[in-house]
Amino acid sequence: MSERKATFRVNRGGPLEVTGKFRILDARGEEIEKEGPVYLCRCGGSRNKPFCDDTHKTRDFKG
Amino acid sequence: MDDPRNRQYTNGEITVFWKPSRCIHATTCFRELLEVFNPGRRPWVNMEGAPTRKIIEVVNKCPTQALTWKYNADLSREEQASLKDRQEAKAEVTPETLTEEAAEIKPATVRVMRNGPLIVEGEFKIIGPDGNQMKTLRMTSICRCGNSGSMPFCDGTHRKIGFTDFNG
Repeated sequence: MSERKATFRVNRGGPLEVTGKFRILDARGEEIEKEGPVYLCRCGGSRNKPFCDDTHKTRDFKG
Repeated sequence: MDDPRNRQYTNGEITVFWKPSRCIHATTCFRELLEVFNPGRRPWVNMEGAPTRKIIEVVNKCPTQALTWKYNADLSREEQASLKDRQEAKAEVTPETLTEEAAEIKPATVRVMRNGPLIVEGEFKIIGPDGNQMKTLRMTSICRCGNSGSMPFCDGTHRKIGFTDFNG
């Protein structure tokens, strides 16, 4: 377990990279992931939400 | 029908209505006007924090109408009657306490909102696409639908485009 403060790196045109100390809860409030790095979908198109599956590369996502 | 968590706040001229059940943590209110909307304070809405027209401007930007407003002259009798007891600070629900893991957590908590944004709270930092750290409060919401007008933050657009967690 990393002791660093949680860091959220916004990759241009790509996912949110999460490292450091954090936890992720799904929509029901259940913990789904403990340790990083984790890549979370920002483009809206992943078929493995909330995680990135590289769909942004086929969508021309600029955000 | 009427949620007991609902609150009303007034500055004598207008009344702002807060309906926690509608809040999707777009965070527009406190990113735009922390002087008035501060989830870290009780009560979390301070009607003396800015001029009426500024408060109206920011309330109008609330994407879900969790926040609405009325001129006091237009209040119904029921609204006038409830104004007093709806202002009490005790046991007030704020955008922060709505996400139940409030103050004490050390690791940042990322909540995946169904068909909505990521809510991030606790101790964390956000590095923007340019590599620089972005200014954020203790809680922020990050777009998951890919269409926010204020990337990387949520602006409520997911509702308008019908974003869902399920691919068709």
